[in-house]
Amino acid sequence: MTAPGPTAVTPYRSTVQDEARDGFGRLLLAEWTKLRTVPRWTLTLLASVALTVLVALLTAAGAQASGTGKGISDPDRVQIHDLGHFTYQPLAGDGAVVARVTSQGGGGAWAKAGLMVRGSADRATPYAALMVTPGHGVRLQTGYKGDGQGGGTGTAPRWLRLVRSGTTVTGFESADGRDWRRVGSVTLDGLPRTALAGLFVAAPNTAKVQRRFGGETVDSAPSDTRATFDHVSVSPAWPGARWRDRGAPGGPADQGTGGSTQEGGTFTLAGSGDIGHDAFADDVTRVTLTGALIGQAAIVAVAVLFMTAEHRRGMVRTTFAASPRRGRVLAAKAVVVGVASLAAGLVAAFGAMLLAAPLLRAGGLAPPPLSDPAVLRAVLGTAALMGVVAVLGLAVAAIVRRSAPAITIVLLLLLLPQIVATGLPLSAARWLERVTPAAGFAVQHTVDRFDRAIGPWAGFGVLCAYAAVAMLVATWLVRRRDAA
Amino acid sequence: MDATIEVRGLSKRYGPTTAVDGLTFTVAPGRVTGFVGPNGAGKSTTMRMIMGLDRPDAGTALVGGRSYRSLRTPLCRLGALLDASAVHPARRARDHLRWLAHANGLPVRRVDEVIELAGLTGAAGRRAGGFSLGMRQRLGIAAALLGDPPVLMFDEPVNGLDPDGIAWMRGLLRSLAGEGRAVLVSSHLMSELEGGADHLVMIGRGRLIADIGVGELLDAASGGRVELRTARRQEAMTVLAHAGATVTAHGTDAVTVAGLDSERIIALLTGAGVTFSGVAAYRASLEEAYMELTRDAVEFQAVTGRVAP
Repeated sequence: MTAPGPTAVTPYRSTVQDEARDGFGRLLLAEWTKLRTVPRWTLTLLASVALTVLVALLTAAGAQASGTGKGISDPDRVQIHDLGHFTYQPLAGDGAVVARVTSQGGGGAWAKAGLMVRGSADRATPYAALMVTPGHGVRLQTGYKGDGQGGGTGTAPRWLRLVRSGTTVTGFESADGRDWRRVGSVTLDGLPRTALAGLFVAAPNTAKVQRRFGGETVDSAPSDTRATFDHVSVSPAWPGARWRDRGAPGGPADQGTGGSTQEGGTFTLAGSGDIGHDAFADDVTRVTLTGALIGQAAIVAVAVLFMTAEHRRGMVRTTFAASPRRGRVLAAKAVVVGVASLAAGLVAAFGAMLLAAPLLRAGGLAPPPLSDPAVLRAVLGTAALMGVVAVLGLAVAAIVRRSAPAITIVLLLLLLPQIVATGLPLSAARWLERVTPAAGFAVQHTVDRFDRAIGPWAGFGVLCAYAAVAMLVATWLVRRRDAA
Repeated sequence: MDATIEVRGLSKRYGPTTAVDGLTFTVAPGRVTGFVGPNGAGKSTTMRMIMGLDRPDAGTALVGGRSYRSLRTPLCRLGALLDASAVHPARRARDHLRWLAHANGLPVRRVDEVIELAGLTGAAGRRAGGFSLGMRQRLGIAAALLGDPPVLMFDEPVNGLDPDGIAWMRGLLRSLAGEGRAVLVSSHLMSELEGGADHLVMIGRGRLIADIGVGELLDAASGGRVELRTARRQEAMTVLAHAGATVTAHGTDAVTVAGLDSERIIALLTGAGVTFSGVAAYRASLEEAYMELTRDAVEFQAVTGRVAP
């Protein structure tokens, strides 16, 4: 029954075929055209910016500095403690300070007793501190950070020696004052030629944290520590130098208990408060950028709709008819919606920081400076977060193919851990914030707080891993399934 | 082989339902091939498999000798209108065509050319959501023509068109085929293809019923019958039946005669003194031919409960 085709016909050849090109760049252009030509998607992206900035303004307007408002005078270093008690002499140029810590009492496992070289008696100057601790051995710390070099189980009595050479300060310890072991060394940028060298004690506050859904309360109380030293010497000795005391500036805990006494060659120092980072400090940057939690909902909506709109009306058939290589189409969609969201995130994050600054200042708080690498990382990271969240949303949408379930799944993955975490024990909360996509929000942290679950980049990496896996699954499914 | 569609043993099942069952046919260039079958016969599924959108369970479909999914700039090989409403309602018609053009690196001037070709010039700046079904069909046609492809495939293109639109569509299909393109047009109504198609591929329940030229089909359905008009129908029917013909009356004064040629009929009626007029070879309508062909087709047997072998 098959009829033979007409033989006289010259088959037609497309007149534009020679001009036609394929390639990933063309796909990007096609997908970008799709994204920008649906006005409500563009508006939703703008809404995500507006929401993020609005939340920043609201939180900034509600923020009030508590206490003395010291932060404003010292905007670079608001999240540190520089307390305890320091008994010192000037040290001109290179030299060393030696002492034996004979006993140490009170203040917990991280109570500190030892030697310190620092730039001045002012707050937040460069320092190197070599210390004995009851629970963490002999440590060399600097930069108002915890941990430091060294470790082990050494406790008082202990000989300590701190040697300055240029801007390098090296710590040694010894059990008997003869066999010295090097603990470590640090470089102190900006250490003046004439520095201060001497003895110090410090101890972290005892803190009680209560967490419940939606928030936390921290009760923090200073704890006192006390230590005795002998065989104290600073060399070269400053002609006519006498020992001076530095209590913590403005430290209310220091008033009654701090001080030093000297009897024969034995020094007794008492003090409270810590030298190091403040694990309970407010992370103003993070709080300012917290609107990203709301803004991301709009981003997720756009990313999901960008995919499900294809499925809802069978448009995906037109798409795959024009570009049969489906994996590339999905990749192009991810790049387009990811970059668009990243751009929206950049505007939102910088907008939030810049617009919230005057309000923070009015409330007596120091606005986090963008010149601080951690703050800049948090801001750029927030933008990157938006981009990756969009890719995650797109991939999940490609897998489930329907808007409402896709949006719900992605928002639950991102938000639920953070909501639930406040009602969980700290260890469970930390675990949750490490293994779920919500870990990505760690990139906004600029303060090493007590409840930190994961490092900024590691957390961001976790989110990226989720997005990558979702993209792989989506690509596999999209290639395999009938287009519908 | 640039302008053909070749379907070989194509099958597709959805769960327990067999949508397409071992379908084989070729769409040749230079003519309009009608793709006919009742709703649910598997026409759309076949078209989707030709375009690589649905994965066949068996068989192959080649466009210009190549599988669709291996094409790099497919819009220049095959243009298709599958579903006119597959457009984002918030997107302007021109933007819809623009992203399609970008996807295959086609020059943007093509967008304006096909807008004019499809008669959408006035509506190109409007959002597709406000389009009537007829305008959406035109937008779909414009999209299909974007790459100026040698093969075209339209799924129920006259659905929802007004009579003017249907005439326009018919003319368009004719002229596209006239340029040497292969054109495949599906319809569940044979009458829609009357005067439009040169060749027919008929399917029922996913199986091929006929792959036949329109002329051939009509000849077969007409079966060499002769139609005449007479005021004295009863007498004429008696005379002719006696001579061994099969006679059918229809209308008020018409008779269709099978089994006798027109010369013999004229001689018989003249001899019997029966007056008549308008003796002519009978032409069956496409619809009639189709009904005849599909009378025994599996799709309809299902009604009586018999299962196809």
